[in-house]
Amino acid sequence: MNKMKPLKLLDIARKTGVVTIRYPDKPPLITSEFRGRIVIDASKCIGCGACVNICPSNALTIKETYDKRIINYFIGRCIYCGSCADVCPVKAITITKDFELATENIKDLNNKVVHYKVVCCRCGSERHAPENMIKFVIRRVPVAETYAHMATNCKKRKFVEGMLHGRGMLYVEAK
Amino acid sequence: MTVNKELIEKIRRKIVSEKGDLINRIYYEEGAGLLIEVSRGNLREIAYYVHEILDTYLRTVAGVDERPIKGVFSAYYVFGLDGYGLNIIVVTHMPPEDPKLPSITDIVPSADWYELEMYDLLGIRFSNRKLYRFVLPEDWPEGVYPLRKDTPYNIRPKPVKSQKQVLSGPRIPVGPYHPALHEPEYFELYVEGERVVDVEYNGFHVHRGIEKLGESRFTYQQVPFLAERICGICGFVHSVCYTQAVESAAKIEVPERALFIRSILLEVERLHSHLLWIGVACHLLGYDAGFMHAWRIREKTMILAELLTGSRKTYGINLVGGVKKDINNDKINATMKTIEWVENEFKKLVEVITSIPQIVKRAKGTGILPRSDARKLSVVGPVARASGLKRDVRKDYPYAAYKYVSFKVPVYSEGDNLARLLVRVDEVFESINIIRQLLDQLPQGPIMSEEIEIPENAIGVSSVEAPRGEDIHFVITGKDNKLYRWRVRAPTYQNIPALKVMLKDAPLADAPLTIASIDPCFSCTDRIQVVDLSTGKRRTISFKELQRYNICPRCGL
Repeated sequence: MNKMKPLKLLDIARKTGVVTIRYPDKPPLITSEFRGRIVIDASKCIGCGACVNICPSNALTIKETYDKRIINYFIGRCIYCGSCADVCPVKAITITKDFELATENIKDLNNKVVHYKVVCCRCGSERHAPENMIKFVIRRVPVAETYAHMATNCKKRKFVEGMLHGRGMLYVEAK
Repeated sequence: MTVNKELIEKIRRKIVSEKGDLINRIYYEEGAGLLIEVSRGNLREIAYYVHEILDTYLRTVAGVDERPIKGVFSAYYVFGLDGYGLNIIVVTHMPPEDPKLPSITDIVPSADWYELEMYDLLGIRFSNRKLYRFVLPEDWPEGVYPLRKDTPYNIRPKPVKSQKQVLSGPRIPVGPYHPALHEPEYFELYVEGERVVDVEYNGFHVHRGIEKLGESRFTYQQVPFLAERICGICGFVHSVCYTQAVESAAKIEVPERALFIRSILLEVERLHSHLLWIGVACHLLGYDAGFMHAWRIREKTMILAELLTGSRKTYGINLVGGVKKDINNDKINATMKTIEWVENEFKKLVEVITSIPQIVKRAKGTGILPRSDARKLSVVGPVARASGLKRDVRKDYPYAAYKYVSFKVPVYSEGDNLARLLVRVDEVFESINIIRQLLDQLPQGPIMSEEIEIPENAIGVSSVEAPRGEDIHFVITGKDNKLYRWRVRAPTYQNIPALKVMLKDAPLADAPLTIASIDPCFSCTDRIQVVDLSTGKRRTISFKELQRYNICPRCGL
């Protein structure tokens, strides 16, 4: 009887049947919790860079030019940890279930979100922040509406001028 | 770590009364252990005392370049006091102009690799022993020590000409980067006919400098993701071990629910790792049907891990201070269902596997590691437990939520390949048992601690029982939200030297199973060189040839 024991495997195999799933033809075996690549909703994104700071593998990078702020998501470096989605203050990042990301063209792996910076309402030349960011600030702190559209240097200038007009404390140069 | 205060005081007084004149300073630091500061001259005597008289085993050694903060090089020898859950750390400092230490390999044989590694990476010299290039590649220039603080992490020195003699004539390099197999490791077996007489190991082909990266480029909360990539099988073990080390150094209180979730995931990881190993062992013994069925069962645990974390491997949910993802009721039910299915299926499979005479005969009595050698070489995990050493970090140094569950530690005294197989079979059932208990008791509450403040220059030591044995991380915290020193010691590091004992005088045909029986963290011994001592001929056996011997390196695929 003991010698027949190994044959029990046949019974197990018969009961189990075929377990292999013909994957490329049939849908893959992924659960509801699976984390694939991320998608950044450009209309929601405010370009704050929180995701860039938290990203452990530098898949998300930020680039600042005179009139643009570009957030680049390079899938080739992504480890699909989902940290960026957790920290996004406006929930612009969603984790998808896409994982079949192989491509012949490396450009397909770069996803850019381009923010155009707003022209300063005071000087009309300097650019400091994307429109979405300003809207976000105003939504959070309504009183910011009076100065949010102003470039950093203009804000300083306005403050000093305000001082000169006696609104605030007088600035006395130390001797 | 919860260690009895009175016990520490007792051990401290014992050490002071017996060896007080040799010790500069002795103090207890929570989160690390009992630190003994000694001068270089007294290191050997204290090492002998701690290892032999106090009956400890060497857990890890960390060489640290402390020149920027203390002006010295230091070496931390971490010994574990079995059964007390206490680390005894022997610290010794060296002046920067003369970093030299007496070797302790004749007292503690398992210190061999640590000393070679310190010599390579930090430039610390050891007297009374042979020193040779061990971790660094052969074409790395002399005098560039990667782990010194004045060496930048992204340094790429110009390769120098290798000193190693190469035979003339045409050469075809195959391996150690073998195209078909998984990880590059290299064993040289010296044989007389069919009998193995000696073994030489040549490893570290995939030394990635992770410690240096973690110390220089990554912040505290980014390192867990890096730690997870140390190993493809037991990644979560490393990330938990790292976070625990930092938490114990910074004395961060982790919410209980997070501890439970960590423990559950660690056990899920053990399930899949042991099922993988049992499948591979079957494959090695020519029983491919068993291999396929073991992996069929394992697949369910992988899907379970994905359901609980969001990823099959590299879970990416662990951070210093807690975890990122919670477990809800649906997941608890799904987990219960899966582990019940796994238990039933695995029970049936084990009955079949252990009834096959060919498997039992080939595993029984081969690759024997006697208890005395096991202790001397400080082996860990299933290898130690199969040789009669009751060594399990989950019991000895309770961490995460293991203090809330009861489980058995399977111990076998035979020390052969069959014993190592049976230890793992028993552990699968114990893991299922532990997961059940943890899910039953899962407490409510937050999963991330609110305040995380990490002080400078705090030492933390933490260990986790990985599927292959004890994994231990040693950290010294630094400034700028970064680690000062991060020392990782994976279980295979302790277990590979034991292969020398296991393989000696054994038939060549048993070698692959024996090498695989320690469940080496490199997934494959990519090729084995056979040197016939009677004729002096050397030839390298390829993967295909090995199969002709009816043996094949552990590769699984």
